[in-house]
Amino acid sequence: MSADNEAQAQEKLIDLAAEFYDQFDRGEIPSMSVPTRTKSNIVFDEDSEVWVYGDRESTRSANSVRGARKLLKAIYTIDFLAEQLNQDRSSTLRELYYLSESWDAQEAQFSNQDESNQLVEDLEIVSEVTREDFHMRPEESGATIMGPLYLREQTRRGERDIHCQEDVGEGGYQIPNNPDTIEFLDNDADFVLAVETGGMRDRLVENGFDDDYNAIIVHLKGQPARATRRITKRLHDELDLPVTVFADGDPWSYRIFSSVAYGSIKSAHLSDYLATPEAQFVGIQPSDIVEYDLPTDPLSDSDVNALESELDDPRFQTDYWEEQIEIQLDIGKKSEQQSLASHGLDFVTDTYLPERLTAMGVL
Amino acid sequence: MPSIQSTLGEEEGIAEELAQSQRQISIAEFFEKNKHMLGFDSGARGLVTAVKEAVDNALDATEEADILPDIYVEIDDTGDYYTLIVEDNGPGITKEQVPKVFGKLLYGSRFHSREQSRGQQGIGISAAVLYSQLTSGKPAKITSRTKGSAEAEYFELVIDTDENEPEIRKEGTTSWDRTHGTRIELEMEANMRARSQLIRYMKHTAVVNPHARLTFKEPSMDEAHQFERVEDADLPAKTEEIRPHPHGVELGTLLKMLAGTDSHSVSGFVQSEFTRVGKKTADSILDNFRDRHFGREMAWRAPQPHDDADVARAVQQAVANKGADATNAFADEVTRKVEARDRVAHHELVEIVAEVADEVGDDHGVTFGSTVQENAVEAGWGELTADRTADLYQLVDKATSTRKDDETVHGLAERLAKRFEKGRERDRATRKELREYIDRAADQTEEYDDATIGDTARENVVTELRSVMVTVPDDVPKVRDLADDRDATSELLEAMRETDIISPPTNCLSPITADLVEAGLRKEYDADFYAASSRDADVHGGDPFVVEAGIAYGGDLEAEGSAELLRFANRVPLVYQRGACATTDVVKSIGWRNYNLDQPGGSGIPNGPAVIMVHVASTNVPFTSESKDAVANVPEIEDEIELAIREAARELKSYLNKRKSLQKRKKKQNVIASILPQMAEKLADVTGKDEPQYGDALARIMNNVLVEREVESVAPEEQREGGEAAGRKVRLVVENHTNTNESPDITDIVSAEPTNLSNGATAVDMDGEWFIKWSPTVESGDEAVLEYDIAEDASFDVSVEGIEDPKLTVNQ
Repeated sequence: MSADNEAQAQEKLIDLAAEFYDQFDRGEIPSMSVPTRTKSNIVFDEDSEVWVYGDRESTRSANSVRGARKLLKAIYTIDFLAEQLNQDRSSTLRELYYLSESWDAQEAQFSNQDESNQLVEDLEIVSEVTREDFHMRPEESGATIMGPLYLREQTRRGERDIHCQEDVGEGGYQIPNNPDTIEFLDNDADFVLAVETGGMRDRLVENGFDDDYNAIIVHLKGQPARATRRITKRLHDELDLPVTVFADGDPWSYRIFSSVAYGSIKSAHLSDYLATPEAQFVGIQPSDIVEYDLPTDPLSDSDVNALESELDDPRFQTDYWEEQIEIQLDIGKKSEQQSLASHGLDFVTDTYLPERLTAMGVL
Repeated sequence: MPSIQSTLGEEEGIAEELAQSQRQISIAEFFEKNKHMLGFDSGARGLVTAVKEAVDNALDATEEADILPDIYVEIDDTGDYYTLIVEDNGPGITKEQVPKVFGKLLYGSRFHSREQSRGQQGIGISAAVLYSQLTSGKPAKITSRTKGSAEAEYFELVIDTDENEPEIRKEGTTSWDRTHGTRIELEMEANMRARSQLIRYMKHTAVVNPHARLTFKEPSMDEAHQFERVEDADLPAKTEEIRPHPHGVELGTLLKMLAGTDSHSVSGFVQSEFTRVGKKTADSILDNFRDRHFGREMAWRAPQPHDDADVARAVQQAVANKGADATNAFADEVTRKVEARDRVAHHELVEIVAEVADEVGDDHGVTFGSTVQENAVEAGWGELTADRTADLYQLVDKATSTRKDDETVHGLAERLAKRFEKGRERDRATRKELREYIDRAADQTEEYDDATIGDTARENVVTELRSVMVTVPDDVPKVRDLADDRDATSELLEAMRETDIISPPTNCLSPITADLVEAGLRKEYDADFYAASSRDADVHGGDPFVVEAGIAYGGDLEAEGSAELLRFANRVPLVYQRGACATTDVVKSIGWRNYNLDQPGGSGIPNGPAVIMVHVASTNVPFTSESKDAVANVPEIEDEIELAIREAARELKSYLNKRKSLQKRKKKQNVIASILPQMAEKLADVTGKDEPQYGDALARIMNNVLVEREVESVAPEEQREGGEAAGRKVRLVVENHTNTNESPDITDIVSAEPTNLSNGATAVDMDGEWFIKWSPTVESGDEAVLEYDIAEDASFDVSVEGIEDPKLTVNQ
């Protein structure tokens, strides 16, 4: 990251504080408006083809005791972040939560981590600076890449050139918190395959899928961290690689796909920075459950609720997803990625993925 | 005593023997054995009751004489016994009356009157005398001095329980410092276990008699406690005696009144002996009485042209020897008049015939005598009643639901017609008889026609038939006949109850009034909030009554446990039997949570620092027993108690709501007022500027009135002539961020003489400090600027009145 970025982030934070200052000075009640972060307030942006926040706003105003506390916390956090940038340090979201305990104003301390996380998101949106530029890290990123990709990473110990097959162990290349510090040098890849579970990722690596098909295997580790989504988007945008997502066949996994492809509700303000709208869903599709005769579990009540809520979700309102979700509600079953092992350990790499990827036009 | 077996055969002897031990029991003797009925069941309770009776008497006596009561009550522990002394400043009692008033049970002036008073039966004080003589054996010592007399009369007396007559032990005159009044001294076996009840009784009496001064001393007190009267409290309004209300008498009373009245006619009787009965009401009562006594007459439809019946022909044939013209004219005219009416009852036919006989007789020079008239009526009535079934069919059909099939309705009508035919002459029937007709007819219809005619349907038919039946014009019995006729009198009583009569007048009542209820509570309870209500008068069993309620809340009232309930009847505190009282039941049944009071389980006496007071005033308060401790559960009274309490409770609710919102506001203010400075400090840190002003924002957030001081140095040349050293201009800015206009009183106290005062303010010098006063009116959202000039080194201190504290922000 450049010193420019940091200075700009710091300036924007101080601008925010100055706005509160001016509100006070004008005798106004200090307040801050942020878009409402709910499913009902995201709209599809035709230009960037991602989902962004709509017009509805929530106001944090000192008019109420709650609002006043929130603003006090915001001001303390701004002070902290500005100071952190000043000293070129970084911290995690959790550290921020604990750190608030040391603040002299009792009322400024966070009562739980959700509150501090939410506040950082608020500040991101209002200042238009990403969390990474505030030097705020999530607790764990840990997602990995394996594949024919050669890159350069800026580390604290200087630049490192890494090949994501030859220079890494079985575990693959660890994606850093701020993937914008990476520079892509070279690649032999044909496409990106983002995989939900660690078990399946290990299976693909063991079977040499990355080598055989020139695939960059990105491990999502469940709901993907921002860094994972960011690097996926960069792989697509900068290297012009098609992105595919391979997950379980249940409603929660569809959400993982949608946050890769369309952006998540909580970070819709960063959708054009994180989302890869061209990403395609490999499976497990509900239709695959029938077609490949996969072992299944019955849908639980919460699964059914989640599916129905997805039918209402603007991000899922496409013919493809409506059809798939209807099928799943109809058969009342779900399957995991690893259920493909019922046809043998090599079935996924020899049969399923080649068939699906060919059908999708990736291979 | 020999057994009955051994004396069989000598029956006369037994009866005589038994008769020897049968004798009249004197009322005094009866109560001697039944002390508990009058509230003298234990030493502790006996003392309370004696105090209560004596004080009630004293209050009644003074008020009757238009004297503001000043009553002294003293209880002394004299070793073996307790002595009770009660003194009043009443008019005194004449020498002749003293023994009777205190020494004879059931002697009193109020038992027969319908007027609100504390005592009613004349038992109370003499019962206290009786109790004292039974327990201590000592006579009652009575001193009484009437106004203007030189000396006071002094008596020592006991009650002869055999005869219920006073027995004077000592009689004479004595000197007394009161110019008029009565003093009674009783010695009795007692104890002070009921001390708290006694004190409560005195306190409650003081609440409910704000016009009275009470002084109370009991053995544990060092000096007497004085319950002062509310300043300017007048005597309760004088009450007037009223006659009984027709809705409230009972059969026995009515018979007695009938026997005793001077009136001959029932109409005169009801008008003269009852309240609220004039000529019109008397007529309604009489009509109702006729309906019950004689029954109503059924009125039938005149036969229609297509019917077989023909009134004209029948009448024509019934008249003989009057000439064809006259006869035809007579018959035609009768028919015309009958047909002109919708329905005709027998007595109406009689009227028509008589009328036509006169007219036609005059025209034709013929006399239609009474025999002819009777024949004509009989013939005409025969035709009118020829087809009752068809007529009844219509009425029954109208009264019953459409689901009844035609056959059922017809069957019922046919059988009803038969009942009328077999029933009383002229088709008369009382309501009761009518119902019997319908029951018989309906039962038969159910039996033979396989139909069901329910109770509602039957009652509907009764109502429908009665609506076309007519009251007969017969003369009602005279008063002297009624007095011996229990059944007819009971019909009259029913008629009186049935008739709508306005409520009795209320000048026989003397409510405390809401203002004085509140003043009374204010005087004896130190609370934050008081509310009172006084309902309009209502009636129960012919006796008017008024219910009043009061509530006190907060302040020094006991916050732990249940609210205190004060019950009063005719200005007398009710001390015992709380659980049996209608007042308690009503208070428990109210959902106090609606009124923001704590009520565990949602029913029962509410918790918290509250006093709930209920006063029932009536010419006859219905008590559950002779000891007059609890109001009976009369629905009309319970309803009014509830409404009165709710009325006062609504005020309490809005008070508590307001208090709650002010508390909430204060809490918000405290939090916001601590957060905003922290925000300002941190913002100064981040931006590297001076701390921003947050006072305006705070006032705006709190919708407050903000008073802010701005001080500015004034250059010397701007100062007025002869000005001292460089001075300062002081500005007090009053910003109104509330939703209403505000008019605060603002006082700035300064240590030097101020000049150039703005907005018409004045400065008053008080020992070297100047008080500057403004009373600006600031509109919602507006501000006022108050200015003055002052010396450089002066100090100031502003205070603002007229705005509730939580709504005010002052920045000095």
